[in-house]
Amino acid sequence: MSEPSRDALPIPHGSKACRRLFGPVDSEQLRRDCDALMASCVQEARERWNFDFVTETPLEGDFAWERVRGLGLSKVSLPAGPRGGRDDLGGGKRPGTSPALLQGTAQEDHLDLSLTCTLLPHSPERPEASPGVPGTSQGRKRRQTSMTDFYHSKRRLIFSKRKP
Amino acid sequence: MQGRGSGFFLRGRGPRKNRCPEKAGERAGTRLAMELLCCEVDPVRRAVPDANLLYDDRVLQNLLTIEERYLPQCSYFKCVQKDIQPYMRRMVATWMLEVCEEQKCEEEVFPLAMNYLDRFLAGVPTPKTHLQLLGAVCMFLASKLKETIPLTAEKLCIYTDNSIKPQELLEWELVVLGKLKWNLAAVTPHDFIEHILRKLPQPSEKLSLIRKHAQTFIALCATDFKFAMYPPSMIATGSVGAAICGLQQDEDVSSLTGDALVDLLAKITNTDVDCLKACQEQIEVVLLNSLQQFRQDQGDGSKSEDELDQASTPTDVRDIDL
Repeated sequence: MSEPSRDALPIPHGSKACRRLFGPVDSEQLRRDCDALMASCVQEARERWNFDFVTETPLEGDFAWERVRGLGLSKVSLPAGPRGGRDDLGGGKRPGTSPALLQGTAQEDHLDLSLTCTLLPHSPERPEASPGVPGTSQGRKRRQTSMTDFYHSKRRLIFSKRKP
Repeated sequence: MQGRGSGFFLRGRGPRKNRCPEKAGERAGTRLAMELLCCEVDPVRRAVPDANLLYDDRVLQNLLTIEERYLPQCSYFKCVQKDIQPYMRRMVATWMLEVCEEQKCEEEVFPLAMNYLDRFLAGVPTPKTHLQLLGAVCMFLASKLKETIPLTAEKLCIYTDNSIKPQELLEWELVVLGKLKWNLAAVTPHDFIEHILRKLPQPSEKLSLIRKHAQTFIALCATDFKFAMYPPSMIATGSVGAAICGLQQDEDVSSLTGDALVDLLAKITNTDVDCLKACQEQIEVVLLNSLQQFRQDQGDGSKSEDELDQASTPTDVRDIDL
């Protein structure tokens, strides 16, 4: 295929834009900060959705979670490619994957699990709720190639009240 | 987010359009040259503008309603950041703009990436050594959101002089996404440009030049923290105003001038007239500074023409006479 690509725009040799701005970068510190920030994302998601995304456990709170097995989603609606854009739409679930992601290939058990949430109609909050896009996709891990088993959790709002 | 697949589909089907808006303002000779040049360097095909979106006022009203949601929550140099100084933001912004221009990214990519960066920094205290990585991550995300052929992680890492690895970029991508709450479809000043332009009484052949200058001003605003907390609609309106005023001195691009123009612009985006005037003046100041900076860079004389082409200010700015 003659798909045009950015490779047609290689970085010009000796490009002035190739430069480091603030000296050497400490990979160790990057790693530590990344871990800490991901952990805080997990915590925020946990509080926001009253769900522990690491252990896949519902917690006390505004949302009722139920596990559904063998949901009727067609294959088509699952992320198809081995990697790429769709994977990046893991939605609010994403923070839960962080431990797996950060430890590279560890925690393989997370690989084949997926959580699909359906936000049941809840009109006043709709536009606000959409940014979280928890329901859009189920990419659990980057470069995931197959998905043989998945959970489906339906989320229902018990109270109309929502934390800001 | 547009995947490669759909991007390819669009390129294959959509009529080529408007890739060199500047051509309308050029004389016939250069016009032909631009056409050829554009065909050679830009294989991206794009769809025609959607009249249903552009000619429906509800779209503009909705944009005005939701734009505030995507502003950074605070002026973070005062209340969040300890290590990062305003000049560092300018450094990273300038670098990001250079990368976007060299890679011929869509106009929106740079302001959108800056919006991500500001929103992240408004919430997360960050050491300055992470700033370039964050800039790269934000370009990565914005490019994926807006472009049919997004920037790759590998390429962005090379632009950091390999100070970061693609793996680190991907991991931090998740961090940034988490902190932005996956809320990426931010409103940018570019979203307002067409809505504003179509309500101006300009002859249509002048519009493309006005559009081009306004886009340059928007990029300029994104490099300057002063504008980070302004609503995108105000930046867009101020940029169009500044573009018309600037061009007006050379040729007659507008039947409206001065206060009448500002009043009309303010009405289009429900912006306060005085705020708008102040914003437009600030844009003109930033432009002036940027031009001076450019002349200084040019003045040191040791640079080849090639290097000048990659100067830190948007290339178009040089053509503007104030």
